[in-house]
Amino acid sequence: MNSVGEACTDMKREYDQCFSRWFAEKFLKGDCSGDPCTDLFKRYQQCVQKAIKEKEIPIEGLEFMGHGKEKPESSS
Amino acid sequence: MRVWSSEHVFGHPWDTVIKAAMRKYPNPMNPSVVGVDVLERSVDSRGRLHSHRLLSTEWGLPGLVRAILGTSRTLTYIREHSIVDPVGKKMELCSTNITLTNWVSVSERLVYTPHPEDPGRTVLTQEAVITVKGISLGSYLESLMANTISSNAKKVLIAWGGWLPPADHTHTWPPP
Repeated sequence: MNSVGEACTDMKREYDQCFSRWFAEKFLKGDCSGDPCTDLFKRYQQCVQKAIKEKEIPIEGLEFMGHGKEKPESSS
Repeated sequence: MRVWSSEHVFGHPWDTVIKAAMRKYPNPMNPSVVGVDVLERSVDSRGRLHSHRLLSTEWGLPGLVRAILGTSRTLTYIREHSIVDPVGKKMELCSTNITLTNWVSVSERLVYTPHPEDPGRTVLTQEAVITVKGISLGSYLESLMANTISSNAKKVLIAWGGWLPPADHTHTWPPP
């Protein structure tokens, strides 16, 4: 699956692989510690944010660079 | 307004289905997704993983529909929020289109939970609400889009058989 920004696809895939490993081997087993993907996510996000602006995609209400723990609980 | 709903049972436990769903685009109602990006991801104080994603999708609408709508554009952007609760074993996704909003609103909700009688199986319930706005033939277009979702879901769930064989499948369609 590609990124909305063509230039971001390689970074996206690298991040996705890191996330999938963490998700399956840590998160689903109850271990939320030591997210190893934060740096990859930041690089990927910088690219995506630029692509979203260039394509004028109407995204509102999100803070980019958001990849962390203990955010306020959201309603489902 | 049209509401479409469906229930599908996978012959695998919840963890297995969720891992596979997160690797692929997890919405079988829309196989025309051409791009996916994560915009934000975090774990809340209850240990649930929240993800906000941007999806680009090519709606497989017939040329006649596009002619009625007066648009040659087919690329649509969708915003999705998902929540994975690894302790309660529930994954929920809610999505809505953020472009073409002047003429259509498509909101979808998917929930993956363990089968209540068999932890070796997983239930997926899907629901879509479609509203076409402000033009004549709106009711016809809503039916067309709902039927597109329904036939797309069947095709994708058949394709998913390659990695997760379905065990049971029912569709419900409220009468017009």
